[in-house]
Amino acid sequence: MRQSVRPHRVWSWLGIMAGLGWTAARVSVPAIAGAAINQINGHGGHSLAFWVMVLLLAGVFQAIFTGLRRYAAFRLALRVETDLRMRLVAHLERLHFAFHDEAQTGQLMANANSDIMQVQNVVLLIPLTIASTLTMGAVIVLLVLRSPGLALFALGALPLLQISATLFSRRMFPIGLAQQDALAAYSGVVEESITGVRVVKGFGSEARQVARLDVEAERVYERSIAAAKLRAWFLPLIDLLPAMGLVGILWFGGHQVLTGHLNDGDIVAANFYVLMLIWPLRMLGMLLGQIPRAVAAAGRIHDVLITEPRIANAAHPVALPADGPGELRFEAVRFGYRRSAHPVLDGLDLVIDGGEAVALVGATASGKSTVARLVPRFYDVDAGVIRIDGVDVRDADLHEVRRAVGIVFEDTFLFTQSVRENIAFADPEAPLERVRWAARLAGADQFISDLPDGYETLVGQHGYTLSGGQRQRIAIARAVLADPRVLILDDATSSVDPSKEHEIRAALGEVMQGRTTLIIAHRPATIALADRVVLLDGGRVVVSGTHDELLRTNAAYRAVLARAEVDEITGITELNATAGD
Amino acid sequence: MRGQGHWSELLPEETLSRDEAQRVLRRLWRMLKPYYRSIFVATVLVVLQAAALLGGPALVGYAINNGLPHKHFKGDVGVLDRSVVAYLVLAFAGFVLGRLVTMRIARIGEDYLRMLRATLFRHLMGLSMGFFEREQTGRLVSRMTSDIDALQELISQGLVLMVQNVLLFVGAVIVIFVLSWQLALGVIVIVPPVYFASRWFRRVSNEAYLAVRDRIAVNMSTLQESLEGIRVVQAFAREGEYTQKFHGTNEDQYQANLRTVKISARYFPAVEFTGVLGTAVILGFGGFLVHRNLILIGTVAAFVLYLNNLFEPIQQLSQFYNVVQSAGAALQKVFNLLDTHASVVERPGAFDLPSGSLGIDVDHVSFSYTTDGETVLHDVNLSIAPGERVALVGPTGAGKSTLAKLMARFYDPVEGTVRVGGCDLRDVMLSSLHRRLCVVPQEGYLFAGSLRENVRIGRVTATDADIERALHALGLYERFAAFPEGIDTEVREGGSRLSAGERQLVSLARAALADPDILVLDEATSNLDPGTEHAVERALETLMVGRTVVVVAHRLSTAARADRIAVIDDGGLAELGTHDELVHAGGRYAALYESWVTRR
Ligand SMILES: Nc1ncnc2c1ncn2[C@@H]1O[C@H](COP(=O)(O)OP(=O)(O)OP(=O)(O)O)[C@@H](O)[C@H]1O
Ligand SMILES: Nc1ncnc2c1ncn2[C@@H]1O[C@H](COP(=O)(O)OP(=O)(O)OP(=O)(O)O)[C@@H](O)[C@H]1O
Ligand SMILES: [Mg+2]
Ligand SMILES: [Mg+2]
Repeated sequence: MRQSVRPHRVWSWLGIMAGLGWTAARVSVPAIAGAAINQINGHGGHSLAFWVMVLLLAGVFQAIFTGLRRYAAFRLALRVETDLRMRLVAHLERLHFAFHDEAQTGQLMANANSDIMQVQNVVLLIPLTIASTLTMGAVIVLLVLRSPGLALFALGALPLLQISATLFSRRMFPIGLAQQDALAAYSGVVEESITGVRVVKGFGSEARQVARLDVEAERVYERSIAAAKLRAWFLPLIDLLPAMGLVGILWFGGHQVLTGHLNDGDIVAANFYVLMLIWPLRMLGMLLGQIPRAVAAAGRIHDVLITEPRIANAAHPVALPADGPGELRFEAVRFGYRRSAHPVLDGLDLVIDGGEAVALVGATASGKSTVARLVPRFYDVDAGVIRIDGVDVRDADLHEVRRAVGIVFEDTFLFTQSVRENIAFADPEAPLERVRWAARLAGADQFISDLPDGYETLVGQHGYTLSGGQRQRIAIARAVLADPRVLILDDATSSVDPSKEHEIRAALGEVMQGRTTLIIAHRPATIALADRVVLLDGGRVVVSGTHDELLRTNAAYRAVLARAEVDEITGITELNATAGD
Repeated sequence: MRGQGHWSELLPEETLSRDEAQRVLRRLWRMLKPYYRSIFVATVLVVLQAAALLGGPALVGYAINNGLPHKHFKGDVGVLDRSVVAYLVLAFAGFVLGRLVTMRIARIGEDYLRMLRATLFRHLMGLSMGFFEREQTGRLVSRMTSDIDALQELISQGLVLMVQNVLLFVGAVIVIFVLSWQLALGVIVIVPPVYFASRWFRRVSNEAYLAVRDRIAVNMSTLQESLEGIRVVQAFAREGEYTQKFHGTNEDQYQANLRTVKISARYFPAVEFTGVLGTAVILGFGGFLVHRNLILIGTVAAFVLYLNNLFEPIQQLSQFYNVVQSAGAALQKVFNLLDTHASVVERPGAFDLPSGSLGIDVDHVSFSYTTDGETVLHDVNLSIAPGERVALVGPTGAGKSTLAKLMARFYDPVEGTVRVGGCDLRDVMLSSLHRRLCVVPQEGYLFAGSLRENVRIGRVTATDADIERALHALGLYERFAAFPEGIDTEVREGGSRLSAGERQLVSLARAALADPDILVLDEATSNLDPGTEHAVERALETLMVGRTVVVVAHRLSTAARADRIAVIDDGGLAELGTHDELVHAGGRYAALYESWVTRR
C-alpha cells in the first residue's frame, strides 16, 4: 500500500497542510465565540462587532481549507484505488489457465471491487484523521489552558467515545463477515437456480430450491439482526457520551461561574469544543476499526499479485521459423491436472507433418481436449516436449506461439460484441471482406446475413440468442480469421446438423489447405476430413492410420466409434446399397 | 459461467419520476401492513428520542439564565443542580430510547426483507421457461441481490435517520422560537442558503453519483467479460488490448469519482462557512438583544447549541436523497418482477397424471415464441405410444427442441393440444408432470458442489445408496469413483473440472435417478464418444424398459436405434416411420442417411 501512495506524495502533503490550516481556523471559532459571549455579558474587551468580524474571517479560512483538504484526501485515495485496480487486472490477464480453473470469477471481481474499496477507505481516512488528531490536540491544550477542571469534565467521557467506536468496529468486523458470507450463500442459491433453471425446471426441483433459499434468507436475517444488536449499543452511545461531557461542563462550569472562577463564555466555548470533537473521534474509531478489514482485503489482493504467471515467456525466446510449415511434434509428453491422481497424458508421442490434418479420436475423458490445450501452452507439460516447427513451445515467445495456433474450444464463448467484432477478434482491424471470407469458410455467412442487423448484430451473453450450431460456427470463423499455421478444432461440429455437414466439410477442406490441423471429433463425417486418424487411449497414442484401416483392423477404435453395433443396424441398408450398384 | 452478469445490468440507471416514486412508495407502504403496529410504536419512540435530544440545549440555556449570575442576578445553585440532574436523565433516556428504536426498526426492516426475498424467489421459480429464455440471467440475479441490498441500506439506516432528522429540525425551529422569537427570526436567515446549497448539491451530486455507478458498471462488466472469456483472450494473445481497454474504463471511473469529489469540495466549504455565519449572527444579534434586555445570555448560549440541530438535518437529508433514489429505483424493478405473471399456470382443479405407462399425443399443434413472431411449429401431429422410443431429427432451427419443450409444458401451444397419458397438459398438475417426465438438455448445467449432489438434483429425496445405484445402472460408477475424491469430487461452477462428455454423463445420471415414465433427451449425448454413448443408451434402455423415450439427435447412428423416427423440417413433420421404412421411402431421411453412412 505504501508503495501505491508514494508516487502521489504531493497530494498527501497538500492534504495534511490543508488539514493543519483547517484545524487552526476551526479551533479558533469556539474561542472567539466564548470571547464574544463574555463581551456580551459585560466583561469588556474588544467590541462585539470586532469579535463578529474575526469570527467571519475564521469562517472564511475554515471554508477554504476544508475544501482543499477534502479534495486532496479524496484525490489521493481515488488515485491509489485506480492504480491498484489496474495493477491487479493487468496481472489477472496474464495469469495461467490453471489459476483461472480454480479461481471463481465472482471472487476475482470482489478482489477488484470491494477489496480495493476497503484499502481505498483507509487511504482516505489517513489524512482526514491526521487533521482530526491535530484538532483534538489543539482542543485539549486550549481547554486545559482555560481551566484544567473544565477540560477534565468536558473531555473525560470522550476517550470512551473513541474506545467504543474502535470496539464497535472490531466487534462488527466478524459479524459483518458472517453477514457477507450469508449474503454470498444466499446469492449463490439465487444464481445457480437461475443459471441452471433448465435443470431445475426439467426435474421439477423448484420446491427444493425454494426451501434452500428460505434457509439462506433466514440466515441472512439472523446475521443482520446480530449486526443490528451491536449497532443498537453503539449508535445511541455516540449520542450519550458527548452529552455526558455537556452535562459535566454545565455542572462543573456552572459552579465555577457561581464562585466567580469562570465566565459564561467559557461554558459556551467548552460546549462548542465538545461538539467539535465528536466527529474526529468517531472518525478515528472508524479508522481503527477499518484497518483490520483493509489489511485482510490487502492480503487477498496481495495473494493474487504474488501469484507468478506459471506460463511465462522464456528469457531469450527463440523465434519460430518464418513461414514454417507448422509441423507439430509431441515427444514423450506427460501431463496431469493438479488434482488428478494419475497423469491424463503419459508418454504421448505424435508427429503431425506440416499441412497434414490429423483426427484425434478417443473415449470420453481420454484427454483429447487436454492435448489440444497443451499446444498453445495453456498448461506446460510435466515431462517431454511439444515442438512447433522444431521449436520447443516453452522456448518460443508466448504470443508468437499463440498466434501460430488457432483453437476452437468445445464450449463456445462469445463476447458481448457484434458478430463482426467476435469474428475479427484476433485482428480487430480486419476489413469486412476478410470477416465475411472467414464466416463463409465456417459456413456462417448465410445465417449471419439473415440476422436482424447482419454482421453488426450484438451477440454473446447479453445479445441475440443463437443456436448451438450457429455459435460454434462463429467460433470457427474466429479461428480461421486468425490465419494460424496450426488449427485445432475441439469437437467443433458437435451441434452441426448432418445436412449442413456437407457444406462445412467442403469449406473446412479449403481452410485446412496449407495448415496443420488437429481435429477432435466423434463423427465419421468430420473424422473423414483428416488425412490420418490417431486413437488416444490410456494417455498415449495407441494406433494411427486411415479411418477405414483402423475400422478394419482395430477393435479399440471400433469400440470408441461404436461401429460394431452400427454395423448391425445398417447391415440391411448397406446390403441394399451394394445390391443397387 | 455463473450469472455474474448483473454488473452490466446497472447500466441504464433511470431516475424515478415523482409520480412513479409515489406509486412505488405507496405500494411499499401497503406491503408493510403486517408491521403497522410496530411502525407506530417505533414512531412514538423516535419522537420521544428526538425530544430527549432537543431538551439538552434548552436546559443549558435555562441553567445559565436562571442559575448563573448576570447583571443584577446572583445565581441559584439549586436551579443549576436540578438542571444538571434533568440533563443527565434526558441523556440516559435518549440512550435507552435510541437502543429501542434501532432494534425495533431493524426487526421490522429485516423481517420485511426476508419476506420480500422469499416471496420474490417463490414467484420467480413459479415463472415459466419462456420467461427465463427471454430474460438475462444477470438481470434476474440482480433483482434478488443488489436491488434488495439497496433497500436494505434504506431500511436499516436511512429511514430512522430521515424521520429523526425531520423531527430534530422541526423541533429545533419550534424550540428556538419559543426561547426568543426575535433571535429565532435572525437565525432563520441562514436556513435558505443552506437549503439552496443543499438542493444544488443534491441535484448535481445525484447526477454525478449516477455517473459513477454507470462507470463502475461499465468498468466491472468489462473486467467480468474479460475474466469469463480469459481463455479466448489468451488463446488469441490479446491480453495487451484487453488490459488497455480496461485501463480506459478504469480511468473513466476515476474521472467520474473525481467529479463527485469536486462537487463536495465546493459544497462542504459553503456549509461550514454558513455554520460560522450562523454563530456570528447569533452572537452579534443576540448580543444586541441582550444589551436591550430582550433576552438573557443563556438563551444566546442555547441558540449556539441549537444551530447544530438546524444544520445537520438539512445536510443529512440531502445526502439521503441518493439512498432513497436508488432504493426507489430498485424497488420499482422488484415490483415489476412481482407483477410478471407466469404464462404457464396450473389451472384450478388440475389433477395427477394417471399411473402406469404414458404416451404422448401432439395434436394439431402450432406454436410461436412471441405473439407477433413467426410460427416455429405449424400443425404438427405426432402420436407416441406408451413405451415407444421416437427420435426427432432435422436441420438446425427446424423446431425439434421447441417440440420437446412443448411436451414438458415449458410453453403452451398457441393452437392444438399436447396430451400425455391421454390428459391435456393444461389440466395436469405441474408437479405431477415434472415427476413423471424429465428433459435432459445438451448443456446439463452443473452446480458448484460435489458430483454426488449434482446427481441428486434428479430426485431430491434420493439416498446416497440410490445415487450410487443410479450410477451403477448406467455403468458410470467406476468411472467417477476412480477420481481422487470419488463421487464426492468438487466439480466447480459449471463443472469446469470435468471433460465435456463427463458433464453430460452427470446429467444422464440425474435422469436415471429420477426414473421418469417419459424421458426427453435433447442432444444429451452429443459430446460423448459413440462407444460411451451407445453403452449409456443401452443401459438407459434397460433401466427404462417399457417407458417412453424421445431423443433429439444430430447423429444419425443415435436416431437409427429408435423405434420410429420423425423428421422435422421447417416447423412441420416431414416424415415419420421406422428407420427401414424411411430409408426405403427414399425421402429426406434416406438422403441424410446416405451421406452419413458413405462417410463412415
Ligand atoms: N426462446 C426462444 N425465443 C424465440 N425464438 C426461439 C427461441 N428458441 C428457439 N427459437 C427459434 O425457434 C426456431 C426453432 O428452434 P429450435 O431450438 O426448436 O430448433 P432445433 O430444431 O432444436 O435446432 P437445433 O438443431 O439447432 O437445436 C429457431 O428459428 C429459433 O431461432
Ligand atoms: N481443469 C481441469 N482440472 C482438473 N481435471 C481436469 C480438468 N480438465 C479436465 N480434467 C480431467 O482430465 C481428464 C481428461 O479431460 P479432457 O477434457 O482432456 O477429456 P476429453 O478427452 O476432451 O473428453 P471429452 O470427449 O468428454 O471432451 C478428465 O478425467 C477430466 O476430468
Ligand atoms: Mg473434450
Ligand atoms: Mg435444439
